[in-house]
Amino acid sequence: MKKSIIYIFLAILTSLSACKKDLDIVNPNAPTVTVFWKTSDDAQKGVNAIYSTFHRAGLCRWYFFATMIRADEGYSTSPDANLQNNFDLFINNDYNYGNYDAIWADLYIGINRANQVLDNVPNIDMDAALKARYLAEAKALRGLFYFHLASLWGNVPMILKTPLPTDLPATMSRAEVWTQVEKDCTEAATALPLNYSDPNDLGRITKGGANALLAKSYMQHRNFAAALPVLQSLISSGTYSLTSNYQDNFTATTENNVESVLEIQNALNPTDNHDDDTSPNDVDNLNYGSSIPPFFAPKPIGFTDGQARRWPVAEFEKENTTSGTRDPRLAVTFLFDSTDVRGPNFSMIYGQTFTSRYGTADSDVWFRKLLNDNNGTATGDSFHSPNNYRFIRYADILLLYAECLNETSSTSQAYQYVDRVRQRAGLQTLSAAMPGMDHDQFLNQLKHERITELTGEGQRWNDLARWGDLGPALSSRDAGFNNFVIGKHELLPIPQQDLDINPNLRQNPKY
Amino acid sequence: MNKDLPQISGFTRRYLHCLPAKQPFRKKLMTPCIFMLSWLLLLTLPFTGFSQTTGILVKGKVADILGNPLPGASIKVKGTATGVSADVNGNYILQVPDASSTLEFSSVGYASQEILLNGRTALDIRLTENSKGLNEVVVIGYQSVRKKDLTGAVSVVNTGDAGKVTSSGVAESLQGLSPGVNVRTSGAPGQQAAIEIRGIASFISAAPLYVIDGMIADANPTLNNDDIESIQILKDASASAIYGSRAANGVVIITTKKGRNGPAKISLSVKYGVQKIPKQWDMMNSTQYAALKSQAYTNSGLPVPASIGSAFNPAINTDWQSLEQRTGNDQDYNLTLSGGTEQSKYLISGSYYNNKGVLQANSFNRASLRINTETKKGIMTFGENAVFTNSNYTNPNRGNPFFDTPQSLPTIPVQSAQFINTTGNFNPMGYSLGTNDTGAIQDISYANNMIAINDLSKGSSNFGKLVGNAYVDLKLTDWLSYRFNAGLEVSFDFTRDIRKDGVFRYGNQPELSYVDENRQRFTNLLLEHTLNFNKTLGKHVISGVVGYTQQSYLRTSDDARRTGLAIYNGQYLTQINSATGTSSATGLTIQDDKLHSFLGRLNYTYDDKYLLTLTARDDQDSRFGAGYRNGFFPSVAAAWRINKEGFFKADWVNDLKLNASYGRLGINTITSFQNVGFINNSPRAVFGPGAQNTYVGAYQATLANTDLRWEKRTIGNIGVDASFFHDALSVSVAAYNSLSEDVLINLPLGQFLGNANGTPPVNAGSIRNRGLELEATYRNNTHPFKYSISGNLTTIQNRVMSVGNQGKGINYLQQGSTRSEVGYGISQWYVLKDMGLFQSQDEINNYKRKDGSLIEPYAKPGDVKFYAKPDGTGSINSNDRVFMGSPLPTLQAGLQFNTSYKGFSLNLQLVGTFGFTIYNGVRSTLDSYQNTNFRTDVSPWTPGNTNTSDPRIGIASNDPGISSNNTPESSRWLESGSYVRIRNLEIGYQLPKSTIQHLHVDNARIFIAAQNLLTFTGYSGLDPDITGNGLLQPGVDNGNWPPSRIFSLGLNFGF
Repeated sequence: MKKSIIYIFLAILTSLSACKKDLDIVNPNAPTVTVFWKTSDDAQKGVNAIYSTFHRAGLCRWYFFATMIRADEGYSTSPDANLQNNFDLFINNDYNYGNYDAIWADLYIGINRANQVLDNVPNIDMDAALKARYLAEAKALRGLFYFHLASLWGNVPMILKTPLPTDLPATMSRAEVWTQVEKDCTEAATALPLNYSDPNDLGRITKGGANALLAKSYMQHRNFAAALPVLQSLISSGTYSLTSNYQDNFTATTENNVESVLEIQNALNPTDNHDDDTSPNDVDNLNYGSSIPPFFAPKPIGFTDGQARRWPVAEFEKENTTSGTRDPRLAVTFLFDSTDVRGPNFSMIYGQTFTSRYGTADSDVWFRKLLNDNNGTATGDSFHSPNNYRFIRYADILLLYAECLNETSSTSQAYQYVDRVRQRAGLQTLSAAMPGMDHDQFLNQLKHERITELTGEGQRWNDLARWGDLGPALSSRDAGFNNFVIGKHELLPIPQQDLDINPNLRQNPKY
Repeated sequence: MNKDLPQISGFTRRYLHCLPAKQPFRKKLMTPCIFMLSWLLLLTLPFTGFSQTTGILVKGKVADILGNPLPGASIKVKGTATGVSADVNGNYILQVPDASSTLEFSSVGYASQEILLNGRTALDIRLTENSKGLNEVVVIGYQSVRKKDLTGAVSVVNTGDAGKVTSSGVAESLQGLSPGVNVRTSGAPGQQAAIEIRGIASFISAAPLYVIDGMIADANPTLNNDDIESIQILKDASASAIYGSRAANGVVIITTKKGRNGPAKISLSVKYGVQKIPKQWDMMNSTQYAALKSQAYTNSGLPVPASIGSAFNPAINTDWQSLEQRTGNDQDYNLTLSGGTEQSKYLISGSYYNNKGVLQANSFNRASLRINTETKKGIMTFGENAVFTNSNYTNPNRGNPFFDTPQSLPTIPVQSAQFINTTGNFNPMGYSLGTNDTGAIQDISYANNMIAINDLSKGSSNFGKLVGNAYVDLKLTDWLSYRFNAGLEVSFDFTRDIRKDGVFRYGNQPELSYVDENRQRFTNLLLEHTLNFNKTLGKHVISGVVGYTQQSYLRTSDDARRTGLAIYNGQYLTQINSATGTSSATGLTIQDDKLHSFLGRLNYTYDDKYLLTLTARDDQDSRFGAGYRNGFFPSVAAAWRINKEGFFKADWVNDLKLNASYGRLGINTITSFQNVGFINNSPRAVFGPGAQNTYVGAYQATLANTDLRWEKRTIGNIGVDASFFHDALSVSVAAYNSLSEDVLINLPLGQFLGNANGTPPVNAGSIRNRGLELEATYRNNTHPFKYSISGNLTTIQNRVMSVGNQGKGINYLQQGSTRSEVGYGISQWYVLKDMGLFQSQDEINNYKRKDGSLIEPYAKPGDVKFYAKPDGTGSINSNDRVFMGSPLPTLQAGLQFNTSYKGFSLNLQLVGTFGFTIYNGVRSTLDSYQNTNFRTDVSPWTPGNTNTSDPRIGIASNDPGISSNNTPESSRWLESGSYVRIRNLEIGYQLPKSTIQHLHVDNARIFIAAQNLLTFTGYSGLDPDITGNGLLQPGVDNGNWPPSRIFSLGLNFGF
């Protein structure tokens, strides 16, 4: 009897398996790191992930506040006092201000993505040329992310390998960060193609893009001699020219044109509702574009959390074209009461005249280049925009080259490059209008040229920083600079939450 | 014996390795059999049976103290198996061997009595109601023991008290009833309360393990409280060790009601309550608001917006809180049929609970059917406990009314034709967002328009759930039984989100209308084989259990969405097929875990005086990598019953027991698949000409920590249980010291690492909790006027002992405003200290650092002065932060008072929680004076109003003084949370038998109750009992849903 009972439950017990293999459960949702990074396809996906970073909120939205609103060309009338204080007024009481953190965090997310490609793709057995190109793309983009970090925060930790959760990297000086940007861009440029033959690759970073970034990096720490040959090579490559229509650089239908050197690709997902490109639960609703229109467009199309100062309008009005008309770039650059030269009754603001929206006494000016108002015919704008962001245009390269020549005692040779930009706008050549300028006069003129050509494109902050013009003196143009403390506000505060975690980090001076 | 358990486990582990796949049969047979046999051999001891002899007949009646018959009462001859049950009228006839036999009378719920026959052949007896005292049997996991024989720390909750509270879940009903058990509630319908047993010793989850009738399954609000017969809380290492790796946060053992031997009984209970939130934020009306806000603009030298100035319309005065809140109600119906014979017992209950929430568009209802049966046949007992529940939630799932509605401006209407904007379906319903569309400066708010959300965002969830277990028990000998227990929890979860056209907040991204349906399936399967033994050898009693268990969890989720809902005649069609836009779908396995375990417990008692318990469990968990999978958790406990010693003479002491335990438990709070890094393929790159295409990107988004280990907890416990004056007074005292090591935490990572989509768990640090628990009950049941009073007290001292290797110079973990630093408690507030207001410019100019620089150079009179560290530099900054108290209480107390006289009864429950600090996140938003309505009693500083703690008012743009006043990391927003609450007051009346008999009703009771009647606290928020923001920020009140005040009327009938 007893024996039989024992057999009964032994029989039941055998129905269970005590095998430890039962406990090796494979994650069915995603491949583990051990099965990835094996094929050329994996490498390409790894590189694609780096580009995806540009549509995260930090880079598709708040980056433009840090580069445009903080500079003297823009300001904020946001009802959100924190936004005004941090982005416009140099009042940074909260070193964890979330919208700055978003830029910072997204740049490092991009760096992590690039590092993973750089660490893993070399071990993949694949076409050598394609491998070299993927690695070069990763390097160039890592250089781009560090370029923004060096521009905005200056002294930052540098992560150049796939990190461990316990890594606590030390603060590196701004000079060391620039050096890394230049190393990455130099190495990338040697392996990147001038152009991509496959249309499916259109928008990937090119040799020209890496070189342009390299030159910009040199120039930000005033190494003009180093920047000179790089810019020279870009110009002599023959790859780029200026579009005949200036506005082609700012509309969604004329993207990746001959003037485009480094262009951030945006597309519209009509069902988007979030920016987190790592959320597996909502992939179909991911944003692929920029979200500048709702923040910068005239109200009520946008919230006008960021808008333009009025003073640059006068810069455009200093000079008429050779045919006596207003500089055509003004209407492309701003929406305001005189976007149409005939005034508010003719200036179309998203399908209505300026007068009908705001009357005739409103002096507001709004940045136009990142919007989709379709020359005033659109009646609204999308929350996320498909309009590509032309981060580096050939016109910028020409002006930078002219600046390098001027800084390296070749002012007279610099004229021709400025002239190309002016001629496209219909202006008289500088050689004819203002011949024989000395270094300082020419630099002053270049400052004017860069305002009229590049306002509203996110270049102004770095221009002012390079020229050493950041300071309370700018308050006559932008009252926010009244609060600017020299030696402090050139850089943003390192996020306090990261300082709290990592004792090897240092806060920026005077914060 | 102490050494034996580890050895046994080692023994089994050696033989349980996985054999090659070529020998599957041998593998299956070999493995558990050796384990079982080893125990059988160990315990093969002789036994003898009993034979019945003829003798004399004894008859009589068993009744309660008031003379009501006790049908089904058991009458046994002591020392034999002979016994009968009383009939419907309480009468019995029993054959006893001889006139000198002793009879044992017992009935569930009544104290047993032994009476020497002494020649009598007729014996009537009245049993007194069980005081739930020392002979009460308590379930301690795979075994039941008498409460008096407990060696570990086990609290038995008075389910009578717990059942008197209207709550949506078990956890909430436990508040204040057991020492060492901290319950933090949310008042949302169907919301589960946060519960911590003996303090927070883990960073990820402090939730205990729930065991329901032997099934390890979460006691979430789908469980009907009325079904619960008993609740035991296992608190120390010895009591919990049988649950090993999941027991470190404590174990709550729930036993549901069972049928009893006797005729069929039907009981019906009905309860109806009205609910209301006791408190609202006292906010300004539109006229008051417009005046103060205008002053703010004027103070800052800014033009006053027309909407509150020149064009102010006092006719618009929206009271957002009142619009959002309503009088809720709850209805609770329970119908139970139960009964049985010696062989077969059954209980069937049906229940329906409906809670119309105190907020618009929030509700919860639950219908459940329970079937519990048990049948004996020969040596076999078969039983099952099963509950089917169907629960429904509705809630708008966007915004937080307790955060948004106090902020919302009274000067804007809920909706108005002037805001209708049909361009791109932007705002077809004209909900006001706090601005109008002109070019002028407007006064706006970023608060959600909750009334718009209630309309535009419709969320609902349905949970269809089966939880239960079935078992077969073989009584192999009179001292050994084998049980096979299979438990199953299956849940079908369906959540639907309907988004209508329109925006509800200024700055919102307009969304296309859509329907989103999420379906999840959850299965939790438990298989257990256990051998129970219980043998008495003279003065030696040995009992215990050994077993092998497997448990597996699987949760999968599918989500489908389609945009572009069709609207006909103003009505939305809400099925996926009726939408015409873009479809999207996702699906994933959320959880897939397995656990294999061996367990064993040995209890040894000598002469009822010396008790020893050895317990161990060996767990293998799939959530850890192969090298870290195994965890062994042993414990030991001993007790000494002092009053049984010869030298102990005080006969007024009925029981005096000293007990101590020591052991190690584990905790595994991580989710599936965290020990291996995986590739995230959500990124999308954009390339190509024209409208461009997207291309899949992939990389490891979330960093992984491959050497994840068990979180271990070592707990020592010393306690005294005593009972005096014929059990009228019982007292328990316990002191414990628990040390968590290798604590798992989702460590906040530096953003510079580029980590995304969740933080990886790491084993970082060590936390110690020490505390004292006191529980005392005095009851007087010997007079018609009965009463009992019981109270409990808990103190917990929490210390972070280590935070692992956080890098040189870092001995803390920081999360927002809290810091967990070595030597301090977990999650202490670490903020700038508010020192009052600057009253003059001189005061500001004299507030200097050592180097003479101004500490607050931008401040103006009326701004907050913050404490500056003596060695600090520069203007006030993060380096000046200091520790400012703890979000964890230092003392918790509960008090229950029950009294009855004849048919009347009164129950009073009080809870008190003391010595903790809350971050009032709602007030920090309101009192920052930016983009919100103002509290009526705010009194901003002005040169003429200096006797105030509220700083000057102005617009923070371009005013660093005001920005600084509002800094989130300051003690300005910290408040004491101490409170005492009248948790429940119930008055009941049992209708006299004579009144109801002719209605064929056995008993009838009516009661009225008031829950959360009064709360005494200095906290300025809605309620100090908050669930907080995770374990690293448990004291943050960002609009916690406060408990409702509930007035209930109830009726209970028995047939």
